[in-house]
Amino acid sequence: MSSSTHSSSVEGRLRGDDGLVVLTYQPLDPAQIILSVQDDAAGAIAVFVGTTRNSFQGKFVTHLQYESYTKLALKTMADILRAARTTSDAVLHSVIYHRLGDVPVGQPSIVVAVSSPHRREAFVACEMILEEVKKKAQIWKREYYEGEGDELAQWKTNVH
Amino acid sequence: MSQSQTPSEPVSITVLYFAAASTATRLDSELVQLPVQTEPFRLSSLAGLLTDRHPNTSLGKVLQGSQWSVDAEMVDDPEQVVLRGGEEVAVICPVSGG
Repeated sequence: MSSSTHSSSVEGRLRGDDGLVVLTYQPLDPAQIILSVQDDAAGAIAVFVGTTRNSFQGKFVTHLQYESYTKLALKTMADILRAARTTSDAVLHSVIYHRLGDVPVGQPSIVVAVSSPHRREAFVACEMILEEVKKKAQIWKREYYEGEGDELAQWKTNVH
Repeated sequence: MSQSQTPSEPVSITVLYFAAASTATRLDSELVQLPVQTEPFRLSSLAGLLTDRHPNTSLGKVLQGSQWSVDAEMVDDPEQVVLRGGEEVAVICPVSGG
């Protein structure tokens, strides 16, 4: 199995005027997260669910592990929600949930949900938040491959 | 701001290693004493110091591709940051969240 938890990779949540960001070792529940951004003033909820894929360059992935520098990742993600709100006053509620620790293949690793009066702002904000999280949040993913020892598990990078 | 320190008083920082840096050093964190010297210790000097502490590992290579944070704030230019002791400095290798 994968190594023990990093001491700085703790659970955490940060709720501000701009939304809620959560880092958790618990499985993510997209349906519950959607409910949490509902608002009678919203005509649209846009959701992104990132799920863990079973392959990378022909190799079979058995599971993934996420760790974070929680103290900084929460601040970074809160800043992202603030920027999303600044870009569009129409965003009502926005949340980012990211899972930490071992995530089985096919399970959600991240859920971004945004509600707004009209659909365009929700789509735009949801995508922008996701792309910024992938670019900036201090979270790292490690992939474990079938038939390979744990020490060969690769820390991935999102940089392109 | 702060009064000058006695030159001979050693100070330490806490260095946090994540992801590839953590795998290279086999550590989550370590307390690192800054060298006793008259000129201020700049963050830009830290990579060399840490690489010397962990020879025969891939840490040096990881650090070349990494950024830094000091007390949970990302650093744009390590040359501009002076460490005085007590800071929490993290190696931020290229991220892969989401």
